Amino acid sequence: MTDQASTEPTVLLVDDNAQNLKVLYETLKDRGYRLLIANDGEKALTLARRHQPEVILLDIMMPDLDGYQVCERLKENPVTADSAVVFLSALDDVDAKLRGFSLGGADYISKPFQAQEVIARVRTHARVIRLERALQERNRELESDQTRILNAISEGIYGLDAEGNIAFANPAAGLISGCSVDELIGKNFFELHLLQPRPCSGNLLHPSTEGGETDPEGLPVQATCSQGIAEHQRGVTMHRADRSTFPAEYRATPKKEGDRLTGAVVVFRDISSELENEQALEDARNLVQEQRDQLAHASRMATMGEMAAGFAHEVNQPLTAITNYARVLLRMLKADEPDTELLARTLEKIEAQSHRASEVVRRIRGFVRKPAVGKEVLSVSALLEETRQFAEVDARHNDGGVEIHVADDIPEVVADPVQVQQVALNLIRNALESTRSAGSRASVEVHARMSGEGTVRIEVRDHGEGLPEDAEQKLFLPFFTTKNEGMGIGLTLCRSLIQAQGGEIGFERPEGDGAIFFFTLPVAAANPS
Amino acid sequence: MSDIQQTVYVVEDDEAVRDSLELLLKSDGKSVKTYPSATDFLRDYSEDMAGCIVLDIRMPGMDGMELQKKLNARHSLLPIIFVTGHGDVPLAVDAMKEGAVDFIQKPYREEALLEKIEAALEQDREQRKTLSERQEIVRRIKTLTPRETEIMERMIAGQANKVIAIELDISQRTVEIHRSRVMHKMGTHSLAHLVRMVLSVKDLIDDR
Repeated sequence: MTDQASTEPTVLLVDDNAQNLKVLYETLKDRGYRLLIANDGEKALTLARRHQPEVILLDIMMPDLDGYQVCERLKENPVTADSAVVFLSALDDVDAKLRGFSLGGADYISKPFQAQEVIARVRTHARVIRLERALQERNRELESDQTRILNAISEGIYGLDAEGNIAFANPAAGLISGCSVDELIGKNFFELHLLQPRPCSGNLLHPSTEGGETDPEGLPVQATCSQGIAEHQRGVTMHRADRSTFPAEYRATPKKEGDRLTGAVVVFRDISSELENEQALEDARNLVQEQRDQLAHASRMATMGEMAAGFAHEVNQPLTAITNYARVLLRMLKADEPDTELLARTLEKIEAQSHRASEVVRRIRGFVRKPAVGKEVLSVSALLEETRQFAEVDARHNDGGVEIHVADDIPEVVADPVQVQQVALNLIRNALESTRSAGSRASVEVHARMSGEGTVRIEVRDHGEGLPEDAEQKLFLPFFTTKNEGMGIGLTLCRSLIQAQGGEIGFERPEGDGAIFFFTLPVAAANPS
Repeated sequence: MSDIQQTVYVVEDDEAVRDSLELLLKSDGKSVKTYPSATDFLRDYSEDMAGCIVLDIRMPGMDGMELQKKLNARHSLLPIIFVTGHGDVPLAVDAMKEGAVDFIQKPYREEALLEKIEAALEQDREQRKTLSERQEIVRRIKTLTPRETEIMERMIAGQANKVIAIELDISQRTVEIHRSRVMHKMGTHSLAHLVRMVLSVKDLIDDR
């Protein structure tokens, strides 16, 4: 159809009279047509099938096959049916003309014909047929596009009428429903997929005046079919043809002709594997979280191990004092007239020391508890003070100790107290160790200040050995360490923990000596609750 | 000399431990003085102090080991009992090598601590006694004339009177007179005792 010759409209001239053919030929030649000639009906049909002319000028009175028969045969064959047949005949009666039209003729030219008339009619019909053919071609393209799309799409698509009867279904709809598309057509959506009687059509009489929401009692798609309200739901349970169920997501869009609601288009899909994937993803996420918590816990235990001697000291101090006081008391009791006031004062001292010991134990238990408690609203200064007391178990070896500076206007933050303390302790202990290695007596300074809107920045500054040159590339990598002992897990874990709090962690090279490590935490919402 | 007042000097940074130890030792009848840091003790230190030091090995600032070294440099005789924590044994061993009397691990039993303190005080007394004896010897040596000193050194070296007389170009009789003066001034009749006495203070004499 798109061969070279068809750029010019083709006109087939059919007449048993050679003279007539010649006249017609002379009339139409050099007018932009490709002209074909046949002097009997059979030849005309053959040429028509082969070339599919836009216009056929067809003589009625011919031997063997006459014009009517040729026209009939042309119209029967889809290949030739769309050519415009213009009858030529001396017959000038109405019946003959009507017969021609009833057989699918497009027009009629009386003999003897006027050249101008022939030219004008051929031109008109050639143009009409061309346009028609172009239109049909376009329609075919559109239809095949649409079909391709509907076939290719993995979502099931239904066209429903206002009662929910399935008027159209794509192959995916059949696949999801577990039956053929043909079986779906004519079934009722509600009966098939929801095992529910079709909703009372009375709904149709009460269109929603509010234009509001889906009736919560209503079935899926019902509101779209009956009230013209678009719907979207995920996780509804639908049935297959065999009554087994699947979780589905669907969108229902009302179909309207003018103001009249004629039904709905429903796009739906089986989300079983999606839900499984989501579940798997959720499980994986939980596993990662769990393992991070376990690693954090293991790391806290390891820290406690490193600090064991320090803690033993922290507990032994009050125990030593208690033992001493107790001995003193025993001696005092053996005296003839014990000084009761001194006794009472000494007992109070014992009590204070036992509180002190249990406080150390409480702090250790809080630090190693498992699992982490989750996010809380925290006071930055209380958290840092607690951490400092912890760190000073180590700081006993440092002359400078740890100084905490928290600006007065620092708001509370939201974070997991144990994990944040773990990070702060890790950074402070690193700072103390670096200070010690450098033989410095400077203290480790911890500052908390606001950093932009809604973020508190906690900074640990030391005057120790400073950072290696390739710190930027390596410092937060697992298993990188500058210490002789140490796995190189600390900072990597710190970063993971801080990121889980919605914060950041990093370091800077301050002017002068040492290093700055910092992390940020989100401020608690201004919400008074 | 032995009735000199001995004091237990407690150097301990932990306020509660310090306070309780002071009460405990006082209730045992000891004279006690406490210091919250090594620096405070060093500021107060004098050679006249008698008794012993109960010293916490781990302290912020100057720690116990450092204080021990500083006291050694000042020829302190005060015996030191180190108080150590869990896991400080290697440190304690070092301290013993530096001349500490003993160490005790926290938390300790009162009896053990008091025993160690008694032993330290005894050692202090002994040391002080020996020291005063040696100081007496030195004092006596100082009363010798140069000639008597020379003769004594030759006596200790085992030279016979005759040899001394020839070498110093004096009469044997003169040597005998010097010799008896030396024995008298040094308060002994036996040459063997004299040798021991002089050798015992050799370091003090050489110091001068």
